[in-house]
Amino acid sequence: MNDLPIHKIQISGTTLASVLHRFFSSSGDIHGLLFGHVSFSTTISLSDDLTSNFSTVTTTDSASSSAADGPTLTATITDFLSIPSHFPLPLQHHHRDDPSSVLVGWFSGRRKTPLRPSVKDSTTTLSLASSASHSFTPLDSPYPLSLPPSLFLLLSTPFQEQLIHTHEYKAFQYRVSTDSFDPKSLDIINIGPSFRSHYGSFSPISPFPSMTCDLRGPNAMAEDEKVETLVGIKKGLKDQKELDLCAEGFEIGRLSKLMGSDASNYTAELEHLYDKMLVKLDSLARLVEKSSAKVLEQVQSCRLRMNFDNSDGISPFVRSFAGEDSYL
Amino acid sequence: MAIDAIPPLISAQLNYLVTHSPFSVKVENMWPGGKNTGLLDRFSLVIPFCLDYIKWDVIYNAVYPLAAPDVIFGAEDENFRPYHALGGASDSKSLKNPLTDWNNRDPTRLFSLVLQLRELYKAYQKKRVEEVDDDRLKFEISTMLSREGIEMSLSSNIDKPEEVKFAVPLLDLDLNKMVGGSTWRHQQKIYLQVIYPVGRKYSSAPSAPRLKLVSSPELKAVFSIDDFRLPAWLDGMCMAEYLPTLEEMLESQIKDAVSSIDSRRKLIMALAPLFGRPVEADPVFCRKATFLSSSGVFTFLVHVAIPLQFPKQQPSLMLQSSQHFNSQGVPIKSLVSTEYPWSPRWDTSDMAERIFDFIVDECLNFKKYCNESILQNR
Repeated sequence: MNDLPIHKIQISGTTLASVLHRFFSSSGDIHGLLFGHVSFSTTISLSDDLTSNFSTVTTTDSASSSAADGPTLTATITDFLSIPSHFPLPLQHHHRDDPSSVLVGWFSGRRKTPLRPSVKDSTTTLSLASSASHSFTPLDSPYPLSLPPSLFLLLSTPFQEQLIHTHEYKAFQYRVSTDSFDPKSLDIINIGPSFRSHYGSFSPISPFPSMTCDLRGPNAMAEDEKVETLVGIKKGLKDQKELDLCAEGFEIGRLSKLMGSDASNYTAELEHLYDKMLVKLDSLARLVEKSSAKVLEQVQSCRLRMNFDNSDGISPFVRSFAGEDSYL
Repeated sequence: MAIDAIPPLISAQLNYLVTHSPFSVKVENMWPGGKNTGLLDRFSLVIPFCLDYIKWDVIYNAVYPLAAPDVIFGAEDENFRPYHALGGASDSKSLKNPLTDWNNRDPTRLFSLVLQLRELYKAYQKKRVEEVDDDRLKFEISTMLSREGIEMSLSSNIDKPEEVKFAVPLLDLDLNKMVGGSTWRHQQKIYLQVIYPVGRKYSSAPSAPRLKLVSSPELKAVFSIDDFRLPAWLDGMCMAEYLPTLEEMLESQIKDAVSSIDSRRKLIMALAPLFGRPVEADPVFCRKATFLSSSGVFTFLVHVAIPLQFPKQQPSLMLQSSQHFNSQGVPIKSLVSTEYPWSPRWDTSDMAERIFDFIVDECLNFKKYCNESILQNR
């Protein structure tokens, strides 16, 4: 695995806004995965302004020397997946074939905390950045290159609530070789004429996230390869049972067929599921109706009996009141 | 709705930590992290380290109180990654990340986490100090390491030159046991703080390190380190030479201080036959005693404050009337007085008698003073 510095991190304004919104609207802390791609920087800042050209020549001296060490890489975050932070990151289900959207890193959003990687952040980032199974090859790579998902986006809210800004964020690239979080600036790409140059390299397509539909895994062979504890298996089976109970005969595994290219063949399946749900709802409604009728009946019979007891038609309260009046 | 409440599971862990910690842990700040709940689930812990304090933020999740907490270290410790080196290490069995199999129902978990993290932090700072390229420092570390419990840290402020700080625990005495009846929760210790500027270059006559004696705050009741004069640091000296003389001096002074408690107790006991049983007395360190006394119908309290250097220094006396109050309703007190005949060579019963004689005279003046100030207020 190559441990190369990423020079720039780009994120579309809508994606960042969406991450922030998800963070802001959740009741607790959240974390999640960041998807996107890493590409070789191709944008050349051509300008006929001599002065600015001159200044770039002088300032890019160091940049060009670092570029000599390795390629200039730009990471673009295109979409994300977020879950409450007490759930583990759903890492195992994201082997995607699409090279334009691979796992490039993860993010953690915790309210009112300093913008520094915590113990959990650093251990998670380390395990992500050093796992070979999540490494990917950047787009249009001129030579074989394998990068780990090393980006880490940290979100927080300010301690004082009366401040004008509502959230803070900081992006890092974790380098395994130096065991350091290098702060990186986050370029926000907005749609507009001034960002036209980004259109070429920016992919706004966000694929449907692959959900974990079947806890048992796709095939038995793959399951055997995993080293699982007995407790883990038991828990899995229990969860599966609960899931199956909710599905009412519609195997939850069948849901996975609703994704991908052959989804159209299975819309009928979904309709079938909805039918079943409707039938269930219908039967429930009928039950409620019947029981309500029974309750009403009982209430009415009670009232009849009460009326019979004080047949003069005056309620006991009124009677006692009248009695007191005459007493006076 | 519970506003500003600590969730019970978190509160239990925090209480256990604060009451059982071998060092004094302070909770500096608590704040809620949830969106709508006022539940306090994050807080800063102030932990003593190397005669200084480190502040760690502990982040729980009130929405999911069973989830493991997270810890954020101080801004200057960003490179402290306690569980990074554990991957392939041989001691990974004994030292595993406790956050991976957290059980929030066990109130001891936060306590053991903080203890473990502090140990790891100690090792991290030690490693940093050992990596400093300074010949003298390397030598000092190699000769001092046989001492147990040394903590060290490398200060790396941008605007200040690099310094290495050592906290060397002095004396192998159990001070808590030496002072009978003490109610100290934490082990009392005296440390020598040694600060070396980092030179990086070898020089034949390195400057003396900055030395300072530091004691746990409660020890002040018995022994004041401010009164102790550090022996001089000679040119070309090293710690291994300096410490034995320092410890010898300190030990004899502490023994004196502990025996001084006894002589103070004897004084209080000698005062009792003259003044009657004290209304209030400090039974452990015998620094204070208050007696109720009267002259005719004038009743007053005598506050006796006995200094650490007793019998070299005489006790200071203060009278407080039981019958005269100022316009705020506060009892009128005399000024603190030490101007009465005194000799440290007198017998304890002699000292008590002299104090009694002085009070017999002084109370008349005090009575006059009280009456005058009452008249003035009218």
